[in-house]
Amino acid sequence: MIPQDLKILEEKSIYLLREAKLRFNNVAALWSMGKDSTTMLALARKAFLGKVPFPVIHIDNSIDFPETYRFRDELAKKWKLDLIVGESEINPDLVGSACCGKNKPETLKKLMATYGFDALVVSIRRDEHGIRAKERYMSPRDKNFRWNYKNQPAELWDDYSSKLDVRGHIRVHPLLDWNEIDVWNYIKQEKIPVNPLYFSRNGYRYRSLGCTHCTIPLKSDARGVNDIIRELETTKDEERSGRSMDKEREYVMSKLRALGYM
Amino acid sequence: MEVRNIALLGHKDHGKSTLIGSLLMQTGAATKVRVMEAEAYSKKLHRPFEPAFILDSFSEERARGMTYDTTRAEIKYRSAALALIDVPGHEELIKNMISGASYGELALLLVSAMSGEGIMAQTKRHVFIAKMLGMESIVVAVNKMDTVNYGEEVFQRIKSQMTAFLKAIGYKEANIAFVPISAYRTENLVARSTLMDWYHGSSLLETAYGMLSRARKPAGGQLRLLMQGRIETGSGALSSGRIIQGNMHVGQVLRSTMGRGRHPVSEIFVKGTRVKTAIAGENVAIRFGDGLRLPRGAVLYGANESLRARRRMLTLIFATRRIGQQARIRFIGNEYKARFKILDIIDPTTGKTLRNGTLAPLRAADAEMEVDAPIPVGKPAELSRFTIYSGKEFSGIGIVNG
Repeated sequence: MIPQDLKILEEKSIYLLREAKLRFNNVAALWSMGKDSTTMLALARKAFLGKVPFPVIHIDNSIDFPETYRFRDELAKKWKLDLIVGESEINPDLVGSACCGKNKPETLKKLMATYGFDALVVSIRRDEHGIRAKERYMSPRDKNFRWNYKNQPAELWDDYSSKLDVRGHIRVHPLLDWNEIDVWNYIKQEKIPVNPLYFSRNGYRYRSLGCTHCTIPLKSDARGVNDIIRELETTKDEERSGRSMDKEREYVMSKLRALGYM
Repeated sequence: MEVRNIALLGHKDHGKSTLIGSLLMQTGAATKVRVMEAEAYSKKLHRPFEPAFILDSFSEERARGMTYDTTRAEIKYRSAALALIDVPGHEELIKNMISGASYGELALLLVSAMSGEGIMAQTKRHVFIAKMLGMESIVVAVNKMDTVNYGEEVFQRIKSQMTAFLKAIGYKEANIAFVPISAYRTENLVARSTLMDWYHGSSLLETAYGMLSRARKPAGGQLRLLMQGRIETGSGALSSGRIIQGNMHVGQVLRSTMGRGRHPVSEIFVKGTRVKTAIAGENVAIRFGDGLRLPRGAVLYGANESLRARRRMLTLIFATRRIGQQARIRFIGNEYKARFKILDIIDPTTGKTLRNGTLAPLRAADAEMEVDAPIPVGKPAELSRFTIYSGKEFSGIGIVNG
């Protein structure tokens, strides 16, 4: 895994976050309490001098880990976040992507409509998945959250030309260039608080966090940020291999993306 | 680690995605799952293993064997991280090609040596665009050498034809390199191939790395600060901007290309922290002593220096859609009305002037451009390029030539 120059990544993210705030009327961000979206919030605090200038949305299906809820409430208080919790249902008979893929986007859609958000900051990274690697920094979704990946807007020379379909919204991806190891190096450098589930307990840790139904821990003795960075320097395993969603076929992901979730 | 960007260019099916896939595997950058998944999908389509599937992830891309949109992947080579930017080769996807290639510092052009392939119109068009995008160095990888028994003849023919074209559109011979490869058979990619003893140069990666080390961006120069807009922060309303050249400090007096006056800088914030100085590459939040509100698109510079803004200029434009006399341009984040007077229509596949042509898609032109407000064109590159819109649609790119 290749560590990149954090200064360059940081400046680009700050630029994109400010650009989002300047260009759109009503910006919100998704916050899963995972390392990526928490890092994004830390970057927003840098871009806007200590303040996160948009509401953060947690789509909650009530089966997240207790540690995750605790982490959410503590950090929301400490960073004075404008937290919006969207309650999502779970289907006991559905597993993996079918479960998340069905209910979470529906909850988010309703929430976006209620608040009238026209831009949504999502902390995806190109190195997570081949499909995510095809995203733009600013990527339009239609009113049904569909991603027209066959006809994405041109994006060059800091001209993020995505037009806003009034019935849709723009996904803003300030972390698109970051690799997993960059996120951890930055967490270390900036001492960003992270969910304790990332650290090893009894020989296991979570490398990627979803809800309790679809996340499997991996064998690891990494008890701190430094251990995680060392582990990532040598691993050949996929970051999301502990997420049952990704074990399914590639086209499921493709459909999920087209639906606008993930 | 510093990331250097390499844009892969060339006609469809000449092997761009396959080359990146092979390089990811050869350098150990591809994860197990990505490789296994590409293997499984190749089997599903009853095909031999296709390294391009590591990049091309949409089911449609795989089924049709084509890249729809740009993506990138990184490999480590010597002391650098090389970002390999994949772009679609199809003509109708040129907008996506430009979006990806715009990040390139070095062009890596693929030309297939296979019988019936060779140098195509799109091969040349991509090179023409690369030059406009500011890539001054180019490595031409003559691919599919396995289909011609690794023979020298085809390689030399492509080399001499391509050299003539590259020189015609302005590439210096010292900035051009040719490397014979087989992306699929992984010949001459990372290590020198043993199958082509007539070739005495370096492997593809070594050649690209060498050219990148020479192609350094010039640093320094007078302050150029691009204003992004006014942001509400934890420390009140501030002006946000990005320094693209030079540096600035608290107490410095600046002037703007939009509006008059001298503006003393009273506070600068970088990455959320109050600082005394800021340098090129940094995003700054500024408080001016005179409470100034600067519009987006303004360029700030030192009050003792001069920066001229003007409305008329000579440009080279490339059309992805038809461009008429009237259009809109975006220049450093701001939009202007523009009027074009076409001087010459250029065929990017020959570099030659066309008689009586119109500025149809995939053509270029030398044109006089007049914008509805003065803009500060010049160096660095950010101040000499613009995107073109007709109606709501992205229609092309332009660079200022004089």
